[in-house]
Amino acid sequence: MNNIEEKISALYDGELSEAELEEILLLIDDDPKLQKKLSRYSLITAAMNSEMNNVQSISSRNKDRKFNFWISNTITAAATVLITFFAINQFDLNRMGEDLSAKNQINIAINSQEAKDLANRVEEKLVDHVMHVINNPQNDNVTPYDIDLRNVGYSRVSPKSRTYNNGNKKFILRIEKKDLGIKKVRNWQHKDKMIYVVPLQDGRVITLYGNIDQESVTQIANTIKK
Amino acid sequence: MVKNSNNDDSLLIKKAQDGNERAFNLLMTKYYPRVYGSLYSFTKSKEDSEDLAQQTFIKVWQQIKSFRGDSAFFTWVYRIAINLAKNHFVSSAYKKDKVNLSADDLEIDVPSFSNPEIDLMHDESLNKIKTYVEKLPESLKTAFTLRETEGKSYEEISIITETPIGTVRSRIFRARENILTFISEELVDE
Repeated sequence: MNNIEEKISALYDGELSEAELEEILLLIDDDPKLQKKLSRYSLITAAMNSEMNNVQSISSRNKDRKFNFWISNTITAAATVLITFFAINQFDLNRMGEDLSAKNQINIAINSQEAKDLANRVEEKLVDHVMHVINNPQNDNVTPYDIDLRNVGYSRVSPKSRTYNNGNKKFILRIEKKDLGIKKVRNWQHKDKMIYVVPLQDGRVITLYGNIDQESVTQIANTIKK
Repeated sequence: MVKNSNNDDSLLIKKAQDGNERAFNLLMTKYYPRVYGSLYSFTKSKEDSEDLAQQTFIKVWQQIKSFRGDSAFFTWVYRIAINLAKNHFVSSAYKKDKVNLSADDLEIDVPSFSNPEIDLMHDESLNKIKTYVEKLPESLKTAFTLRETEGKSYEEISIITETPIGTVRSRIFRARENILTFISEELVDE
C-alpha cells in the first residue's frame, strides 16, 4: 500500500508517467481514503503558500460573533469597493490643483493581488462610510439644509434638498462630525459618479457624491470651511 | 529559476480537456483549498467562498478546453474565481443573491470539502502545520519545502540535494505522511 500512497504523493506533484497516472486515477476514484489523502495534501499546500494568509480562525470569530459581524461586513465592503470602483485617490485639499493629474492614483487591477491586499488595508471606518453613502445617499439626518453654494455656482435642486446642481453637474452633499481617521481628501470613482470624502480641521467630514470634479470640490470645501 | 509548481499538471489537464472526469476531479481536489483560500481573502465569508469555489470549478470544467497553458493552471483558475467573485458582488448589488449558475445544470459532481477540512483551513491549525514542518528531519524538510514552496521538480531537487530521484520522491512522501499524522493526531478529531 505504501507504494501506492507514494505514487499518490508523486501524482500530486505531477511526477507520474501517463501509464502510472491512469492506474492511480482508477484507484483513487474507488477509494474515499485516498481521496481524503489528496484533499489533505492540498490543504498542506495551501498552508505552505500564501492563499490562506488572510483566513481567520473560525473559533475566534465565533467567540466574538457580534463584534466581528460588523468587521466582517466592513472588510467585505472593502473588497466590494475595490471591485466596483475603479480608482482611489488621495490628496491634500490645499494642493488639489497639483494633484489633478492623479499622480498618486492607484490603478487597481481588478483581478490582481494588489486588489486583495488593498482590500485588507483600506480603513474600515472609511469604507463603511463610503458604502453607507452609496447605499443610502438620501438617508441623512445631520447635514444642515442652509449650506449656500451659489458663490461657487451650485444651487439646491429644491429648498429642503441636499442635492445640488449647476446644470451640468449634480451631487449630494453630506456634512457630519465624524472621525474617519483620514487627514487627506479621498476620492473614488463609481461608474459615472465620484465620491469625495473631505476631512476638515474642525472634525467635520464633507462627503460629496455625484457628477462633480475636484476643482469644484475644492471650492465647495473651502466655502464650507469658512 | 523557480519552476511553477502548477505547470506539471499538464497530463491531468490534457486528460480533463479530453473529458476525463477522474482527472478533473483530481485537479479540483488539488486546487480547491487554494481557490477557497483566495476567495475567502476576498469575500471574508465562508458561505460565499464555498459557493463561489463550487461555481469556479463548474466554470473551469466548462472552459477547460480553452486553457492553453500560457499561464500556470492555478493562475487561470484563480482568475475565473476572482471574476466570479467580482460578478457576484456587482450583480447582487450588495445583496446576497447567488451567482446564477447551478451545479445541477451540469453532469458533473462538484465536490465540496467536508467540514473538518474547511475548519482546518480557518483554524490556527495552518500555522501549526507550518511550525510542524520546521520540526521535520532536515532531509525530509529540505525536499518537501523545495517542492511545496519553491515549486521544484523532483529532478531539480535531486540535483540540489545530490540524491537520487527515487530518494527525493520517498522523502517528500514521508514528509507528507508525517504531516498527515500530525494533523490527524493533533488537529482534528477523527
